[in-house]
Amino acid sequence: MRTRVATWLVRASAWLVPGDRRAEWREEWLAELGALARMSSNGSGLPGPLGFAAGALPHALWMRMEGWTMDSLLQDIRFGMRVLLRAPGFTLVAALTLALGIGANASIFSLVNGLVLRPPAGIQVPERMVQVARSYESAPRWDNFSWPAMQLIRAEARSLSGVAGYSDRVFVLGRGADTEQLSGQLVTGDYFGVLGVRPYLGRLLQPADDVEPGAHPVVVLSHGLWLRRFGGDPDVVGRTVPLGAEPYEVVGVTPPGFAGARTLGAPPALWVPTMQHPGYGGGELPFDMWSASWIYLVGRLADGVSFEQAEASMDVVSGRLREASTTNSDMLVLLERGVGLDPGDRRQAEQISLILLLIVGLVLLLTCTNVANLSLARGAARRTEVGVRVALGAGRARLARQLAVESALLALLATVLAVPIVLVAGDFLPAVFPYAVTVSLAADARVFAFLVIVGVAAALLFGLAPAWALTRRGSIDALRAGASTAGRARTRLRDALVVSQLALSLGLVAAAALLGRSVLNAGSADAGFQPRGLTAAFVDLAPTGRYDDEDAARRLFDDLVRAAEALPEARAATIASQTPLAGGHSRRTVRPQGRDDVAFEAELTIVGPRYFETMGIGVVRGRPLGGLDDEPEPVVVVNQALADMFWPGEDAVGKRLDGDPGWRVVGVAADVQMRSLRSAANPGVYYPLAHAYSPRMVVHVASEPARPVGATTLRDMVAALDPELPVGAVVDLHEAMIASMAETRTIALLVGAFALLALTLALVGLYGLVSYGAAQRVREIGIRIALGAEPGSLVRLVLARGVAISMLGVVVGLGVAYALGQALQSLLFEVAAADVATFAGAALLLVATAALGAWLPARRAGRVDPTLSLRDS
Amino acid sequence: MPRPLGITSLQILAAIRSRMTYGLDIVAITGLPSGTVYPTLARLKRGGLVSARWEDQRVAEREGRPRRRYYELTGAGERALAEGASRMAGLAAELEARAVGRSG
Repeated sequence: MRTRVATWLVRASAWLVPGDRRAEWREEWLAELGALARMSSNGSGLPGPLGFAAGALPHALWMRMEGWTMDSLLQDIRFGMRVLLRAPGFTLVAALTLALGIGANASIFSLVNGLVLRPPAGIQVPERMVQVARSYESAPRWDNFSWPAMQLIRAEARSLSGVAGYSDRVFVLGRGADTEQLSGQLVTGDYFGVLGVRPYLGRLLQPADDVEPGAHPVVVLSHGLWLRRFGGDPDVVGRTVPLGAEPYEVVGVTPPGFAGARTLGAPPALWVPTMQHPGYGGGELPFDMWSASWIYLVGRLADGVSFEQAEASMDVVSGRLREASTTNSDMLVLLERGVGLDPGDRRQAEQISLILLLIVGLVLLLTCTNVANLSLARGAARRTEVGVRVALGAGRARLARQLAVESALLALLATVLAVPIVLVAGDFLPAVFPYAVTVSLAADARVFAFLVIVGVAAALLFGLAPAWALTRRGSIDALRAGASTAGRARTRLRDALVVSQLALSLGLVAAAALLGRSVLNAGSADAGFQPRGLTAAFVDLAPTGRYDDEDAARRLFDDLVRAAEALPEARAATIASQTPLAGGHSRRTVRPQGRDDVAFEAELTIVGPRYFETMGIGVVRGRPLGGLDDEPEPVVVVNQALADMFWPGEDAVGKRLDGDPGWRVVGVAADVQMRSLRSAANPGVYYPLAHAYSPRMVVHVASEPARPVGATTLRDMVAALDPELPVGAVVDLHEAMIASMAETRTIALLVGAFALLALTLALVGLYGLVSYGAAQRVREIGIRIALGAEPGSLVRLVLARGVAISMLGVVVGLGVAYALGQALQSLLFEVAAADVATFAGAALLLVATAALGAWLPARRAGRVDPTLSLRDS
Repeated sequence: MPRPLGITSLQILAAIRSRMTYGLDIVAITGLPSGTVYPTLARLKRGGLVSARWEDQRVAEREGRPRRRYYELTGAGERALAEGASRMAGLAAELEARAVGRSG
């Protein structure tokens, strides 16, 4: 496969080599490639076929330019500039159109660069870093570790020179009105050492900061938090700040740009030693608990150890872990090269990146087609000039070179104009991109290299067609002969360009429509609950450090529900540990009582009173769960998916989960799409707040959709009960449901904008083509009118070609639309990738546009004055 | 007087001198990218320092592969390589003397 591509690369490059030496050149390269393919690739010090064949292009270019002198090149450049300046309108429109295409490509590339290609900032030798994760042979996944597991890995993984852990946490910083909730991380003492981060101010955390539970109230601030909250005061080091219930000493500030070892998600604002873990309900610390997995691991390869060696050595580590942890006999320790994105996120980011690059690639193709078309139209006007040069003895090669220089100049101008687009996009893209991106998307050298490559590619794309048409042997002979009609070849080329414009437009319009319908479908999707008018407010007691007593916390939650119910807008209110499609998700392994062979990690939701009523979740069997005082014994409600999984064909009500006495099932609820609209609902269990506890809860208030509860109202309500309990996000669940399709919405907007651009360009292209055709036949039309032809029949005559071309454009465009639909499949929701109605609608829109583009000039043809038209020619 | 040869050109000349050889061989010996080797070869050939000849068609056919193009040094190439090598040796000695002078 690689050899095939390499051969193709050589054959393509061969066209640059001057004709008299081409055959020989090609023979040498193909022989060398053949020899390379026969050799064993390992250890010979030779490049792969692709790397080797990459040299063919510079070689061919060298051969082509061998005869060029600086003087003649300068002459071409000067002449090219004169040509461009002589037609400033053309030059400006062409350069701006191209700049749009090139800029769009480089902007999207800057996103891909920041997200997928560039390692997170501030980490030394990031290519030697690895991510360490827990998985299972029976159920592959990418998960974090418990504290004892981490200690074991640290001791056993000799192929890694260091293994550090981090865990995302919410922190509460400040007192009184200054209180704010921040995302931060608990990190092991060697975290900054393993990553190789240097302090910006003061010092970072050290192993000595992470020895004894609760004994290290020190905090490292991010550069951003330091600027925002502390005004960039260098004396902040050594100062004490209130973090949760305790004072912490600020020991240092991280360098600008450093946002931890991960590229996605909210960037951490501060770092605290793991030993400051607040503990679980009742203050239980996780340092001896194998069952509590909460810490993600990153490691650095030891000197002289390759990634493969380290990966192989993990088998031993996995074995030790299985022995030590007793449960889960098929646990595996996995390594992933580099830091920044875990494999799942990477796959998703790469997929979105590819889709975006594909779309902007189409836009580039479209803009190049448009400029090629413009050049061709202008080529007609330049035929006299070219004719003169041919008459003076300019050869075909020389003319082609002149045109190439012109294209290069135009592309250069466009590339320069694209730079501001890329710079602006660097600020603008993170805002529309569906994920919280911690990395800076600012353009770097790689982005600008890409910009230049796209510019060159564009020059080749739009320059080739006109150069070919102008310098074809036949057309030059025609010029020599002084012929005055345009060559058929050029006409056909223009037809082909307009057909591809129409086809690309249809593809983009159809893609935009598919994506748009997906977003609309998401807004009215049945996710198993009633999102309209439902507002959720996240509260977290753990970081305050003041609610170690579970009963006190339960009372506070109960009070919050009562206060929410008392709000004038509220129809009903409840509290729960997670909210559908908006966060707080957690899972717990459950099994039907008395069976050890079946277990499932089910969706875990702890719910307060009137949960199902408030959320609009139907209880299909049995009863819902009551409030704090209504549930004397441990009972649960399971969802339909879990009931079907554990007790197929039986009534789940009355069954029990887990050990003895376990949890008695009192009801079965309809399935709710907790995590994603696209995936099927997970089996899940609802536990009553009376018998289960989480310090992180979400207050839910249902109101009339037209009168939602405002965020301020909810924050004030919480502040009235506990003024120093900060409220996290306040979310409108209907908006959250649509936002869960955010990547689809963003791409829909992007594709929609490009589709509009494409339609406009196609309209202009077709208009130009038909008017040109009509202008060429003005004499014929004049004669026909003089002979008494009806104007209507003349309009039809001119229109015929436009219609033929549009039809061809629609046919090819449906193919493009089909291919795009397949590529976008993962983003679509409740609409087929080849939805007939959508495609038909897009085709109709295109036909209407084409009709407009063709009809305007055709109407003019019907009004031709025969005397004028005949006299003109 | 043409410009003195650069390190890349000398490396390639030296590779050719060690045996009569073809482009892929030179890539392997020098470790230079093919995009450097072939244009340099073309330039050296134009300057008359190397000559190229096609392998005998019969040899290639016997081995069941397309014929390949061999490069060899011309007399001028031999002289240019010798001159360049002595220039590089002088340069190396000078650099070493300076490095020693600084550290001592």
